Amino acid sequence: MEEQPRVRVMVVDDHPMWRDAVAKDLDDAGFTVVATAATGTEALNRFRATRPKVVVLDLQIPAPSGVEVTATVLQEDPSARVLILSASGEQDDVLEAVKAGATGYLVKSASRAELIAAVQRVSVGDSVFTPGLAGLVLGEFRRMAQDPGPTTLPGEQLTERETEVLRMVAKGMSYKQIAERLVLSHRTVQNHVQNTLRKLQLHNRVELTRYAIEQGLDD
Amino acid sequence: MSTRAAVAVENRMFRALAVLRVVVLVNAVALIAYRNNYDHPTAGWFCVALMVGWTIYAIATYAKPIRRTVRLMVADLGIAVGLLVATPFVKGEWFSSTIPGFWIMGALLAWAVRYGWRGGLVASVVLGGTDLLIRADFDQGNYGYVFLILLGGPIVGYLVESLQQMAAERDRAEREAAAADERARLARVVHDGVLQVLALVQRRGAEIGGAAEELGRLAGEQEQALRTLIRSQDRVTAPDGPGTEDLAGALGALAHRPGVEVALPGGPVELPSAVVAELVAVVGACLDNVTRHVGPGAPAWVLVDDLGDRVAVSVRDEGDGIPEGRLAAARAEGRLGVSESIEGRIRDLGGTATLSTGSFGTEWELVVPRTEGGR
Repeated sequence: MEEQPRVRVMVVDDHPMWRDAVAKDLDDAGFTVVATAATGTEALNRFRATRPKVVVLDLQIPAPSGVEVTATVLQEDPSARVLILSASGEQDDVLEAVKAGATGYLVKSASRAELIAAVQRVSVGDSVFTPGLAGLVLGEFRRMAQDPGPTTLPGEQLTERETEVLRMVAKGMSYKQIAERLVLSHRTVQNHVQNTLRKLQLHNRVELTRYAIEQGLDD
Repeated sequence: MSTRAAVAVENRMFRALAVLRVVVLVNAVALIAYRNNYDHPTAGWFCVALMVGWTIYAIATYAKPIRRTVRLMVADLGIAVGLLVATPFVKGEWFSSTIPGFWIMGALLAWAVRYGWRGGLVASVVLGGTDLLIRADFDQGNYGYVFLILLGGPIVGYLVESLQQMAAERDRAEREAAAADERARLARVVHDGVLQVLALVQRRGAEIGGAAEELGRLAGEQEQALRTLIRSQDRVTAPDGPGTEDLAGALGALAHRPGVEVALPGGPVELPSAVVAELVAVVGACLDNVTRHVGPGAPAWVLVDDLGDRVAVSVRDEGDGIPEGRLAAARAEGRLGVSESIEGRIRDLGGTATLSTGSFGTEWELVVPRTEGGR
């Protein structure tokens, strides 16, 4: 990334100590922290004003929630990336944020090096998974498959290979290890993982649309 | 009982009673008009007018809880008794049915609803007794009628009391659930702050090094413990049916072991309690094995995958794997190795345990079928 322009980042956290620590770490690592925010409202206003590439977002912030901020940010600028940095690992919230389009998730106890690597990877369009998040996403696809309701479109279902890769991520294997085990390229593994997120988000959008039509909100 | 729930039940009952009052009034008036066998028709029509008037007044007055006074209750019963007493004078001594007939049910049930089984009993004794006293002769039919009144009053009263009790209990349970939710929400806010600080101390401690590193490590342990506690708390839900438990919640608690990371689906994974207990024990044994062979605090991962008709649990480490031939050697020596014990226990649950081991580490894949008591 030495040659590239510095990645513009916004840090959203209601805890000042954390906000400053994360902002400083990112700044030291060569990112440009264009804004920080303590609440959802601040986050949206400053996002509109500064247009950062990556939003490092705590889910537990004063309203609007981290999930809503994720959805709004990505609706206004689909090229932006959201990395969830969460303290308590509130599972439901994390899953909702990922469905809303967040492409990375990290717990706050992650080291500085992990944080910097995660922001770097998210900024170039890769997704950052923890085993915990992979388990949640896998569980969500399993639930969809067993749902007796409207059948899931083929485009929203995981292929066998994608399921296999997702399970391996959930078992704590790195992309490199998975690539070795399955004799695939690192890039292919990365694509499979990204596809699972893309399909989950697609399914979420389809669900929302379906809901809107049912409620007569489509006109 | 003066709780909101009790009043709500009473209101419902009085609304139903209002309908009943109209039905029995129409019935009484129709019978009187049809038979038209009164000694004193004018007095008879006066009685009918009284019944109509009182029915309208009673329905309007009973509608408001605050107007259900003792005076109203006594008047209601008094008018019914009065009409019974008037019968021999208005209809003649040898009447068979009384003037109000079934209309007295209004007063009887009002007492039962308002004062429970005791009220129902008092009103039924008063009405039944009056019915007996005014008759010149007493036959089988009268006896049956009085007997039913004596049974009906207390029974309806008792039912109303029971309904009120149940409604009050349900209200209390709902309030307690709401309070628990609120407590959990407040706790989450507090915990979130604590977790933030612990995570920060851990991170900064590791960076500063020296004595601070030890502080950071301690903070990290506490952070992990608190996070596990919150997760298991979030997962405390009423089980689906009797004898089932949430496997995800039970295995999630293993994350407090150093180095262990547990990946779970979002919701509960309900399985029979015995299966959950056995799976937790087997996964614990797998993790003990990791500690023994790879080292204390060695990283290990547990994944719970709910496939609907079966549940897969995998336990993985990144040690050197089990050396080739060691399992066979143990078997040859007649020792029951840990792996045999794991396989046997899962087989007893009707499932399969698959071991893959090599330079990449060791991985157990435990699959148990889901029989009844599933999702």
